[in-house]
Amino acid sequence: MTVERDVDGSIRLSGACPQEDAEPLLRLVSDDPTAIVDWRGCERAHTAVIQILLAAGSELLGPPKGEFLKEHLAPLLAARETGAPASPAPAFMRKRT
Amino acid sequence: MNEFLEQFLIESRELVEQATQDLLALEQTPDDDGPLDSAFRAFHTLKGAAGIVEFAAMGRAVHAAEDVLAEARAGDFPITAELIGDCLTCLDQILQWLETMEASGGPPADAEQAADRLVGRFNARSASADTTPTLTPEDHRAWIEPLLASPSAGSARTAIRYTPAADSFFKDEDPLALMAALPGLLALNVAPRQPWPSLDVFDPFACNLVIDALSVGLAAEIADHLHQVRDQVVIHALPDHRQRDGERLPDRATEILSAQLALLSEPAGDAVAGRLGSAARVIHNVLLHLGRNAEAAEIEARLAEALPTSDPEVLIAAVRALLEAQPLPAERHADEQPRVAPADAEIIARSLRVEVERIDAVVNLAGELMVVKNAIGHSARRAGLDGGTDLASALKDQHARLHRLTEELLRSVLAIRVLPLGHIFRRFPRLVREMATSLGKASRLVIVGESTEADKAVVEALFEPLLHVIRNAVDHGVEAPDQRAAAGKPDNATIRLSGWREGEHIIVEVVDDGRGIDPRELRQTAAQRGFANADALASMADDEVVNLIFAPGFSTAAAVTHVSGRGVGMDALRSSVERLGGRVTIHSRPTQGTTVRFTLPFTVMTTGLMTVESGGQAFGIPFEAVVETVRLPRDEISRLGAARAFVMRGRTIPLVVLAEALGLDRGPTDATVANTVVVDLGGQLGALEVDRIGERLDVMLKPMDGLLAGMRGIAGTTLLGDGQVLIVLDLQELLE
Repeated sequence: MTVERDVDGSIRLSGACPQEDAEPLLRLVSDDPTAIVDWRGCERAHTAVIQILLAAGSELLGPPKGEFLKEHLAPLLAARETGAPASPAPAFMRKRT
Repeated sequence: MNEFLEQFLIESRELVEQATQDLLALEQTPDDDGPLDSAFRAFHTLKGAAGIVEFAAMGRAVHAAEDVLAEARAGDFPITAELIGDCLTCLDQILQWLETMEASGGPPADAEQAADRLVGRFNARSASADTTPTLTPEDHRAWIEPLLASPSAGSARTAIRYTPAADSFFKDEDPLALMAALPGLLALNVAPRQPWPSLDVFDPFACNLVIDALSVGLAAEIADHLHQVRDQVVIHALPDHRQRDGERLPDRATEILSAQLALLSEPAGDAVAGRLGSAARVIHNVLLHLGRNAEAAEIEARLAEALPTSDPEVLIAAVRALLEAQPLPAERHADEQPRVAPADAEIIARSLRVEVERIDAVVNLAGELMVVKNAIGHSARRAGLDGGTDLASALKDQHARLHRLTEELLRSVLAIRVLPLGHIFRRFPRLVREMATSLGKASRLVIVGESTEADKAVVEALFEPLLHVIRNAVDHGVEAPDQRAAAGKPDNATIRLSGWREGEHIIVEVVDDGRGIDPRELRQTAAQRGFANADALASMADDEVVNLIFAPGFSTAAAVTHVSGRGVGMDALRSSVERLGGRVTIHSRPTQGTTVRFTLPFTVMTTGLMTVESGGQAFGIPFEAVVETVRLPRDEISRLGAARAFVMRGRTIPLVVLAEALGLDRGPTDATVANTVVVDLGGQLGALEVDRIGERLDVMLKPMDGLLAGMRGIAGTTLLGDGQVLIVLDLQELLE
C-alpha cells in the first residue's frame, strides 16, 4: 500500500501514489482531520491524491521525496489553510494558521 | 514629427502590407507554412515597433493577433476565413492609427477602446475553440500576476491556465503529472475551481482544480505538449521583455542604437539638448522594451550628466559600451560572410528612401530649367533678328546643347518618381475577397505585371478608377453561383488585373469571365433615353455601343437590368482618366466576360500642348485632345439661340468662342473666317474658336493653387519662353 495509517495515527504516503489512493486517503483524513500526513517517502502522487491533501488541509510532514512535489506542491500545500473543510478562496492566498 | 515616429510609420505600413499579403496567400494555401510564418513575423515585428514608440494599445492588439497566429502555427487552431478576417481587421485598425499618428504626431485618443475590441475579438476566437469562457485581458492579469510574483518567474515567456474537466480522472488523466512534465516549468499554482465541499460529501473522483503555471517555453511548444487537453487550456504568451541585462542585443536594437550613436556624433549646434533628449529617450525605450532595465537606468543617468554641459560624449560612450559589450556570435562558419557593421551597410545600400517632397522639388527645378531653356531659345531667335549673327549662332548652339541636357535631366528625374503598379494592385486581392464574400460569389483575382512602373501620380490616380471597375466586375459581371453552373463555367470566377508598358504608355486591363454586356439591351436603352436614334444605333458596331456606357448619365441600375449599375459613375471614371491624359475603353462579349482597358501616359509631369491666342491671351490646349484645326467660313456657323454649331463631315459640332467662355474681350476678328480647334472629349467632338493658333510645346504643368485653384475651365499654368504665363485649359469643364 502507498497510503496507510501508521501505528502512531499519522497517515503515510510512500512511493508513487496512484489515483486509487484518493479514496482511502479521503477516508483516513475524514476519520481524523487532525492526523498528520507524512509524505517524506512520496515520490509521485496522482492529481486526485493532491486534491485530497489540498481540500483536507491536513498538516504535512515533509519534505516529500519527489522533485516536483518538493519544489512546486509542497510550498502550495504549506501555504494553504489547515483544518478543512471548505476554503472557498484560492488556497495559495491564505496564511497557515 | 520626430525621426523615430516617421520611421515607425514607414516601417509599420510596410509590415501591414506584408502581413496582408501573407494572410491572403495563407487563405489560398492554408497548409503552406511559409505565409503563416511570414505573417506571424510581421505581427511580431509590429508589436516590437509599437513598443519602441510606446504605443501600448497597438501593442496589445497586435499581441492578441500574434497569439492566435502562434496557436495556428502550432496546429492548435484551424486557419479559417474568420481568423484571417479578424487579423485583417486588426491590420486595418493599425493603418487607421498610423494615419492619425501621421496627422497628429501621437497615438489616437480612442486607441485603447479599439484595442479592447480587437483583443476581445481574438480572445473570443480562442475561447470558441477552447470551450473555456471568454477571458478579457483583465481576467488574464488576475491569474497571471500572482504567478509572476514568484521568484522563479523572471524568464517566463508563457502563462498557462489549465482547468481540467471534472471527469478527467475517469479518463485516466493526471493533470498535475502533465504539468510536471511541461517544458520549462517555472512556477505553479493550484486552486479549487469550486469552493471545497466538506470532506463528508467530497467526491474523490471529480477533479475540482484550476492549475496555473509559468514556463520559459514558447506558446507553440506548450500548446504542443498540452495537445490532448487543448480544449481545457488557455495559453497566454507573455510580453517578450524578459531578456536580461548584458546579453547580446537583437539586431534591430543594434541598428537603432547605432543610428542614435550617429545622430549624437553629428555636430548639432543649438539643438544639442533636444537631440540628446530624444536620442536618450529612444535608447531608453529600446532597452526597456528588451527588459534591460538596469542598462536603461544607466542611460538615463548618463543623460542627466550630459544635459547640463550639452556635451553628448558621456552618452556616446555609454551607447558605445552597450554596442561593444556584445559578444560576437560564437559559431560562425569560415565560409560565412562576416557580419557587416551597420555603418558599412549604409554605404553599400542599393536604394535610398527619399521623401516624395524632396523628389518633387527636384522635378520642379528641372521644370524651371526647361522654362529658362525655352527663354534662351527665344533670345537666340531675337538675337538672330537683330542682326548679331555670330552671337546668335553661338547662342543657338548652346541652346541646342542645353535642350538636350534638360531633356535628359528631366527624364532621369522623372524616372525617380516611378512606382510599380504593384503598389496599388496589391490592395485589390483583399477588396475582391471582401466584395465576393459579401455578395456570396466565389471570385479570385489574378494579378499580372505588377512590376510595371509608371509615374507615381499616374499609379496613384489609377486606384479609384480600378476600384470602380473591379467592383463592377465582381458585383455585376460575375454571375451568381447557380448561373455560372448553368452556363458551364467554373464556380470560381476569375478577374484578371494586368499591366504592361507600350511605348510611352501604360496599359492596365481588368478582364472578367462574367456575363458580359448585351449590346442589344444597350441599344434599346440608348434609344429609349435618346442618346442616339435607332438607325444610328443599328449602324454602330457592338463595341461602340458598349462604350456608350461612358456617356454622362447613360444608365442607372434600374434602367439596364443585366448591366445594372455599370452606367453609374462610368462617365466620372472616364473623365478622371482623361484628366491624366489617358483613355479608357470597354470590350465585352455577352456570356463570356468584359474587358476594361486603361491607356495612360507613362508620366503626367510633362504635357504636350498646342498654344492658341484668344482675347490677347495665350492658352494651352492638351495636344491629346486636339483632332484638327479648321479655318471655318463664318457663314457655315449656325446660331441656335445663344449656342453656335457647324457641320463637319456629317457631324454637328458645337462651337464655343473661347474669349466669350472665359469672359474676355473679343479682339478684332476676321469677318469671313473663324480659326477653330476641333477637340475630342472622349468621343464627343467640340470646337473652340480662337484668334490665332500657335505652336506645339512640351511643358511641365503646374496645377493651380491659392486663389486660382477653384477656377473653372483651367487645368494649370506654365511659363512660356518669353516669360508669359500660359494658362492650360480644362476642355471638359469648358465645353460641358
